[in-house]
Amino acid sequence: MTRSIEFWMTMATALLLGTVGVLLSVWGNPENSGICVSCFIENSAGALGLHDNGNMQYLRPELIGFLLGSTASALAFRDFRSRGGSAPLSRLFLGIFLIFGCAVFIGCPIKLFLRLSAGDLTAVAGVAGLLGGVWLGLRGLANGVELVKPSQGNASGGHLIPVLFVVLLIFLFMRPEFLLFSVKGGGAQYAPLSVALAAGVALGALAQRTRFCITGSIRNTFLMGLRTPALWGLLVFVVAAAVSSMVSGRFNLSLYGQPGAHLEHVWSFLGMGLVGWISVLIGGCPFRQLIKAGEGDADAGLVVIGMFIGGALSQSWGIAATAAGVSLYGKVAILLGFAFVACGSLLYRERSR
Amino acid sequence: MFRDFFDKSCWGLLAVALTALLAVLLVDAANRDGKSARGSNKAMEREMAYHARVELINKLYGPVEVLRTAGRNQEALLKLDELNRRYPGEAHGHILQGLILQDMGAPDEAIASFVEGIKLNGDYVDDKSPLSRRREIQGLVDIRSKDVSARVAANPDNRTLAGLLQKTNYLKSRLAGGCE
Repeated sequence: MTRSIEFWMTMATALLLGTVGVLLSVWGNPENSGICVSCFIENSAGALGLHDNGNMQYLRPELIGFLLGSTASALAFRDFRSRGGSAPLSRLFLGIFLIFGCAVFIGCPIKLFLRLSAGDLTAVAGVAGLLGGVWLGLRGLANGVELVKPSQGNASGGHLIPVLFVVLLIFLFMRPEFLLFSVKGGGAQYAPLSVALAAGVALGALAQRTRFCITGSIRNTFLMGLRTPALWGLLVFVVAAAVSSMVSGRFNLSLYGQPGAHLEHVWSFLGMGLVGWISVLIGGCPFRQLIKAGEGDADAGLVVIGMFIGGALSQSWGIAATAAGVSLYGKVAILLGFAFVACGSLLYRERSR
Repeated sequence: MFRDFFDKSCWGLLAVALTALLAVLLVDAANRDGKSARGSNKAMEREMAYHARVELINKLYGPVEVLRTAGRNQEALLKLDELNRRYPGEAHGHILQGLILQDMGAPDEAIASFVEGIKLNGDYVDDKSPLSRRREIQGLVDIRSKDVSARVAANPDNRTLAGLLQKTNYLKSRLAGGCE
């Protein structure tokens, strides 16, 4: 395994993700949110005027970088294939619930491990939930739950999401009047644009080549044990993030007083559980969906659109948790999410006669 | 993709649309040169509304600040009580109450008031907000945090103290930052 170039590329991606994930916080992003796809989506949805929380509005360059870095890499290595048509509407809704799960935990799976490696012990419940969710998803797959196979061809519209993100990139530089930018709160905390964009592009390109993904790594570990490079990638990511947190003086081992965290562990567990389950069904965590959308996967593109809708609704409807805890709407959203995925599993299951 | 008349028509239409788009943008940029942005500027409107709100808060709660500065804390608390009943969802009253209680040597009650206020409006722990009272709240939390933990350790069955520790931890978490 260690002789393959894929192994070392996965390690390089994980090392960069862990290091840059912490450094982006040092350079200006919110604490423990150097990289958080769900936070970035909530911020970007706010910047586009999709919600009115004035503290969460900033068109995050990293998000645009992830997707366009993936597109550039896919085009350069002739990997760009327009494909789609696998249960599109279901994926859109799964994208919405994916962000609801993240919003209740306060962070995507990448941020989950960034929080943990910065000493935030409230993330332990999230890790347990994510493991449980991935296991549940795998049980579903093993029992025939599968979204239908996608078809290939330009009619799938796989190029539309990269084009949309090129438009967002133009917006980022042109700053049209309709864009909203926070002047206070988490949305007003950001790394320099060029640094954030470069980090996003580099990580997007590397992730496209290696297919590195947090939930994918856990899934592969459950399936293949120690033989998968993804497990080692995940460990390198966590160690790199922990070392970077310690070196930058951001490590604080405690259950209390952590930035962007709450103490409702059951809901942290369930939020990440939902994210893990959905991620296995749709083939990757929020970060991976961006990468796949960048390489022409229209189904992942619909998940990305769903994530934007979910990001907007999380803020508008008060679903997103805060340090004060999880709102009633957040709890309802999680339970509805589990009900939705359970119904989907029943409907999409291939049963042998 | 350039085979028949239909393909060529589509390419032609695309070229015309893109050229027209470019022209519209260039003409707009030329007209705008040296002038301020036209149309609705949501960001500016929002900023103005926010500043108007800050002004209104300062005006409403000004008499309380005057009493507090004069050291007439009991009178200030009575005035605050009246304002808090009139504007129950407004965080500023709770924050001011916390500051007055802190001045009066009641740090536990001050912590409870700060928590009430910050739950309603996080601007009070945000450095970039004109409403920010971060320095005062951080100071109180830094001083009291160890003391509260020690008291809870000494009285593990005391639910009031456990609640106070929870509130102190909430303030620590909000002061630590994060994305929310």
